Amino acid sequence: MAAVEDRLRAEYFELLPDMRRVVEELEAEVRHCLLPMSRGLERHEQLVVKSRVKECESAIDALRRDLHEGRTFGEGRTFDPEKADSYTLKNLTDLAGVRVLLFPRNHVAQANEELRGRFPSWILDPIRGYDEAKAYYGYCEASELVRGEIQIVPMLTGLFWEVEHAAIYKPSPRLVDLTRRPIMQQRVKEVLNALESFEDEFEKLIRAAELNDR
Amino acid sequence: MRRLATKDQILEDAGYRYSFDRAVYVNRHARKAFSIEFVEDHTDEQIKARIDEHTGNGWKFYFNSDPSDSVKCELERVLG
Repeated sequence: MAAVEDRLRAEYFELLPDMRRVVEELEAEVRHCLLPMSRGLERHEQLVVKSRVKECESAIDALRRDLHEGRTFGEGRTFDPEKADSYTLKNLTDLAGVRVLLFPRNHVAQANEELRGRFPSWILDPIRGYDEAKAYYGYCEASELVRGEIQIVPMLTGLFWEVEHAAIYKPSPRLVDLTRRPIMQQRVKEVLNALESFEDEFEKLIRAAELNDR
Repeated sequence: MRRLATKDQILEDAGYRYSFDRAVYVNRHARKAFSIEFVEDHTDEQIKARIDEHTGNGWKFYFNSDPSDSVKCELERVLG
């Protein structure tokens, strides 16, 4: 079984230059597309664009999980020895990724509309459990081998994902499914509800302050 | 959300332990394994019924999609 993983590691480094080119092009395109929106934001509002190339072990783990359209099909997280040659990282849709974070979250719809206009043929890829966040993937000019993915996410949710990633998945990629356990889903839901309440209250106070200033 | 948390408890009470590497709940004594996807997509009652189900001597995998024979072999090897 290690042979599959070793072959995929070699493939990863063959694809790495393409991943870097895709992420560079995609980030530039996204920033350019969202520039008018970004310039129109009020002082307390934010639009942040981040990009990354997926790390090698994370990519292999994602292939093992066989994730499509927000669903995991690789039950048991095991490469099938009889299909060993069919596994390729080129099947992953997020080797190169750009994430747009927005605060407050009601800007997600507008950013999504702008970017869908720029990437109309890209395929929607729902993020399970996060209806407000949007994601789609496709090819750009930089590579015919590696697809890029764009995510548009409420900022507080995106920052929470970063905390999860930094604290749990980065040191131990095998724990990526930990938050799918029912008890962890419950805790995640509680965190997201708290973030949503925080944002709602913040918005309410900002609007009240604006009315007072008039 | 209370319902989701119950599934963890049901499996734990029945002697199942979660395997991080395979994302399955395993009971080596009963030689049964439930994938996290199966647990997500089935009710407490359905899971309880599978736990109580009598199976043969070999491993029984409760997955949404039945694993191929080669995947079963691999899982049996790593689960012991």
